[in-house]
Amino acid sequence: MSSSFADALRARSDQEILRLFAARPDLLSPVPSDLSALAARASSMPSIMRARDALNKFEFDVLTAAATLADPFTQLELLRITDKSAKAVLATLEERALVYADGEKFRLPSNVRALIGENPAGLGPHSVQKINFDLLESAPQGALDVLNKMVWGPPRGQVADVKRANPTITWLLENKFLIAFDSQTLLLPREVAMHLRGGKVFKELQQSAPSVSGVARKQKAVDLAAIANISTFIRWSEELTHHWSDEPPTALRSGGLGVRDLKRTAEHLGVDETCAAFVAEVLFLGGLLVIDTDDQILPTSAFDLWLTKSSEDRWQSLVTLWLETSRVAGLVGKGDSKSVAALGPELDRAGISGLKRALLALLTTIPEIDPALTSLQERMKFEMPTRTNNEYITWILREAEWLGITGQGALSTFGRALITGGELGIERALPEPVDHILIQADNSAIAPGPLTLEIANEMGTLADIESRGGATVYRFTESSIRRALDHGKTGESIREFLKKTSKTPVPQPLEYLISDVAKRHGRLRVGHANSYIRCEDEGLILQITHDKNLEDLRLRKIAPQVLIADVEISELVVRLRDAHYLPAMENGTGILISAPAIRRAKSRPRPPRIITENTAPTEKIILAAVRALRAGEKATSHKPREVPRTTANETLDMLNQFIEEQASITIGYADSNGGVSNRLVDPLSISLGTLVARDHATGEIAQFRIPRITGVSPAQSAPSE
Amino acid sequence: MTDGPLIVQSDKTILLDVDHILSDECRRQIASFAELEKSPEHIHTYRLTPLGLWNARAAGLDAEHVIDILLKYSRFAVPHALLVDIAETMSRYGRLRLEAHPVHGLTLVSHDPAVLKEVTRGKKIAPMLGLQIDDETIIVHPGQRGFLKQALLKLGWPAEDFAGYVDGEAHEISLNQDGWTIRRYQELAAEGFWHGGSGVVVLPCGAGKTIVGAAAMAHAKATTLILVTNTVAARQWRDELLKRTSLHEDEIGEYSGSKKEIRPVTIATYQVLTTRKKGIYTHLDLFDAIDWGLIIYDEVHLLPAPVFRFTADIQSRRRLGLTATLVREDGMEGEVFSLIGPKRYDVPWKEIEQQGYIAPADCVEVRINLTDAERMHYATAEQEDRYRFCSTTETKRKVAIALARKHKDEQVLIIGQYIDQLDALGAELGVPVIKGETPIKEREELFNLYRAGEITCLVVSKVANFSIDLPDATIAIQVSGTFGSRQEEAQRLGRILRPKADGRTARFYSLVARDTVDQDFAQNRQRFLAEQGYAYRIIDADDIEDDIEDGIEDGIEDGIEENN
Repeated sequence: MSSSFADALRARSDQEILRLFAARPDLLSPVPSDLSALAARASSMPSIMRARDALNKFEFDVLTAAATLADPFTQLELLRITDKSAKAVLATLEERALVYADGEKFRLPSNVRALIGENPAGLGPHSVQKINFDLLESAPQGALDVLNKMVWGPPRGQVADVKRANPTITWLLENKFLIAFDSQTLLLPREVAMHLRGGKVFKELQQSAPSVSGVARKQKAVDLAAIANISTFIRWSEELTHHWSDEPPTALRSGGLGVRDLKRTAEHLGVDETCAAFVAEVLFLGGLLVIDTDDQILPTSAFDLWLTKSSEDRWQSLVTLWLETSRVAGLVGKGDSKSVAALGPELDRAGISGLKRALLALLTTIPEIDPALTSLQERMKFEMPTRTNNEYITWILREAEWLGITGQGALSTFGRALITGGELGIERALPEPVDHILIQADNSAIAPGPLTLEIANEMGTLADIESRGGATVYRFTESSIRRALDHGKTGESIREFLKKTSKTPVPQPLEYLISDVAKRHGRLRVGHANSYIRCEDEGLILQITHDKNLEDLRLRKIAPQVLIADVEISELVVRLRDAHYLPAMENGTGILISAPAIRRAKSRPRPPRIITENTAPTEKIILAAVRALRAGEKATSHKPREVPRTTANETLDMLNQFIEEQASITIGYADSNGGVSNRLVDPLSISLGTLVARDHATGEIAQFRIPRITGVSPAQSAPSE
Repeated sequence: MTDGPLIVQSDKTILLDVDHILSDECRRQIASFAELEKSPEHIHTYRLTPLGLWNARAAGLDAEHVIDILLKYSRFAVPHALLVDIAETMSRYGRLRLEAHPVHGLTLVSHDPAVLKEVTRGKKIAPMLGLQIDDETIIVHPGQRGFLKQALLKLGWPAEDFAGYVDGEAHEISLNQDGWTIRRYQELAAEGFWHGGSGVVVLPCGAGKTIVGAAAMAHAKATTLILVTNTVAARQWRDELLKRTSLHEDEIGEYSGSKKEIRPVTIATYQVLTTRKKGIYTHLDLFDAIDWGLIIYDEVHLLPAPVFRFTADIQSRRRLGLTATLVREDGMEGEVFSLIGPKRYDVPWKEIEQQGYIAPADCVEVRINLTDAERMHYATAEQEDRYRFCSTTETKRKVAIALARKHKDEQVLIIGQYIDQLDALGAELGVPVIKGETPIKEREELFNLYRAGEITCLVVSKVANFSIDLPDATIAIQVSGTFGSRQEEAQRLGRILRPKADGRTARFYSLVARDTVDQDFAQNRQRFLAEQGYAYRIIDADDIEDDIEDGIEDGIEDGIEENN
């Protein structure tokens, strides 16, 4: 079969081969060495599956219909069971090498048949005998009902016992309208089904794409809505990142964001959890967020760079990634048994980006329309019958709206430019950044538009955000001013900034608030010291501070009678003594402690592990050992020697060592009954409390639970296998 | 991008730029569906709430209209999700209806069986409902109308109430506009209420809420029950009604601690209604004493819990709530709306001030430095005694006295929380003190003397927080208060907001001890007024002398300007 498939390919012109490559690009990588190689590749299952996925419903149905015919079949036969218009489709299928010519007739590559399955379009097996359809006229009552139940598939029926079936079934069996598959299963032969289907494989053969219907929108309104979505999305991105910078969530052990953190984030953004998960996912894709080594999810420095870009670039950098990603944010929280986490490892789905592109490409063909979901789903079902997924379509549309690719459900100018590669023009459409705020008597300030980055950052430290959107409402509170002071601002600089930035005069209560907080801020000072010197004689303190010998201790005077130092107390005492002072030590409550006569370490004893070396044994011992060995050999000639027992920690240490050395080892491994057996293995890695190793006995990779490993020793000491 | 006066925020607040040329027009439009949250000098904040949107639906506005207004006036693009949300919220209204069934009485009706199923499954709602008559109709247990509406509102399925209001016993009442005319906003408020059926009218202190009540009575032309905070307020209501309406003295009854008259128009105090004997509210029968056509709740923000519960029972009677400050530190504002009815009318204080119906006011926070001894005492005081200590210090008393002496030629009120402190002030200044134990009769006499100008200074406790009408008071000195209560601060300012004959600016001093909890509480107290655009000035107690001199001159100048 494949040789004739190869022959059919060989007979193709260069142009035809070119078209084949265009339609099935996977055949190109790598470029096949010759036509036989191409034939092998083109008829391989993975490649045929890809080719099938690229078919629309009409093409797929015609291919299915072809599969109901026995090889070789004629064009006429195929058209008879489908439709005249299938002629063009047959040509397409042939071009894509899903059907190949065998003289005047056609054949299917065997893998195409395998892919479509035994019962194409719900049709059963061919009948081996000739069937007289005229008999149906005189069929007993109910016989047609039985057949009609099976006619559109599945072509299978069950009875209690074929031999004791009711008269109707028996009649059908006798006249070959049904075939008994086994004692209980009945099959409807393909010929009978085709007869009852009126000679056509499909009830309805959908030949052209259903048109998409929806609500009409004005492009201007669409763009306005889209620009609102775009600025909202950018704002969400910034807010989420800032929020996580303040309160970083901790990643789950299995990777990803916990449900509680997601909920908290959603509340912070004022959106539902699906949306928060989506924003987090997109930021994660863009590398603006990362799961840090200590499992905290934190913004990266890329975020700071991202912030400095124009809104358009910011949007584009994220949306492009969204278009390409194989991660499906909509799956978050969906899983069957446990919920799937955002930023987790379980979100990848093949084919999503193709579906996304196809869907957006479809949107470009229906401008100014907010398509009805069902009609869009119908259309996609026709365009890519095997790949479409109604849930995914819903999610893609939802995400496109959040991103501002669509506005009011219809494709926006910006979305179109993104897909077709034109100039986006977002920067022009976004509201101009404002460089001023309005401060009101109730200690709130309003930025009547998006603030410039500099002012937004400054305001973020000075005040708490009360409301977000096109404008931002800030509130100055004692704690927000304190925060600014903590960040190194001074009361004066805050007043200065507000005076400069506010279009309205700074209300007096706010000035009071700032100066009150500034006055109190830093009155208490907190610092760090390792030891102190105190002395009621201020003169002596003064003398110490001016002592050249003690200069390098960097003693600091924090009160007339107190000095502090960064060195440890013992060192300080020694140095003071060396400089001929007579210090005494006191403990935390001020009680004098006498210096310990003998010094002892503060930490707990941690003796090093003993690696025993063999001392030369005496002759007597060797002889005794040999005797014992012989005796043991006789007694347990079949029993492998036990591997020396090691403690769990030693086991781990040794395993790690052997993994590094890539040496074979023998391990003692306890089974569930406690019986220990020896295994000769090549250790590969350790994860989640198990040793992954290649077992010499079976030659396969196996997992050994570390607690069950009784001992480890190098392979040499193991008995030969 | 239009250049409108509105900015619609994604958290459903709406910012209105007051300085914008279209702001007036826009404000009128959005007031019908958004609730005014605050109105400081530059940007007013409105909020879109489900309640507000449903009220708009009840008033005949549809989602399309609301969205159109937002789009028309919005400066930036409005988030689409928000518009969808508005449409969805508004579409929930009216799917459930309360109807009076000719046979079964009150019924809950819906053409959407799924919604009906959803609400009847609610644990709280099921006991209020009786038999299901058919797929679309369920009997409501009598007397549950209010509770049911409240519970449905909480579930997010507000019921449109077609069961209507009872007319009550008719009684002829009309406004007697002799020598005075009803103001435009009062008329609008009364009409807004009447068309809505029931609801709350919010007007600043001193803006004449009694007249709104009287106008509502004139609309209803029926027996009326008026609930007020105390006996003095009850008498003021009576006097005002006698003056402004066709009612005669024998038509108005007082139902208070001292008198128990029930007449076509009865004025009762909250206190007497909530008096209990052996755990039973003996006076709640008053609600059923007459077939009332209208019930007015004065100072509705003070509505006590038993009256709350009872109000839920009388949903078929028209209810009007009056207040200046619908803020409750207990967060029960929502309950007021769901039981009395939605806000029907609300104007920013500053707007009424601009129209000259309330006096302009100058709010001054006087920061007082405690002496070192006092500070030490404060630092070592128990947590719960700290506020009392810092707000009643000797230093504060001296400052209060100094202020009162400075203003000895004007009508001064000294208001405080702690009786010892007030007594001490009264004794030192040689002026009468009105407090809880002062008999009603004596209180009325003192207030009358004060109004007549024979007494120029009064020291009052919180009994004078509300409803006391003292037209000529121009200076209020607050020495202590009920912790951080916002409405108390506003109500106290309200005592001096009656417009003055010479148009002079009223002045409100709030004495605050620096670096103590007094200051923190003061900040919270001032918030409501600050949100209404009253900017507090802060002065140091040491600077009082100079400031007062300047201030008085300012005030007089302002007055002259306005007279011109």
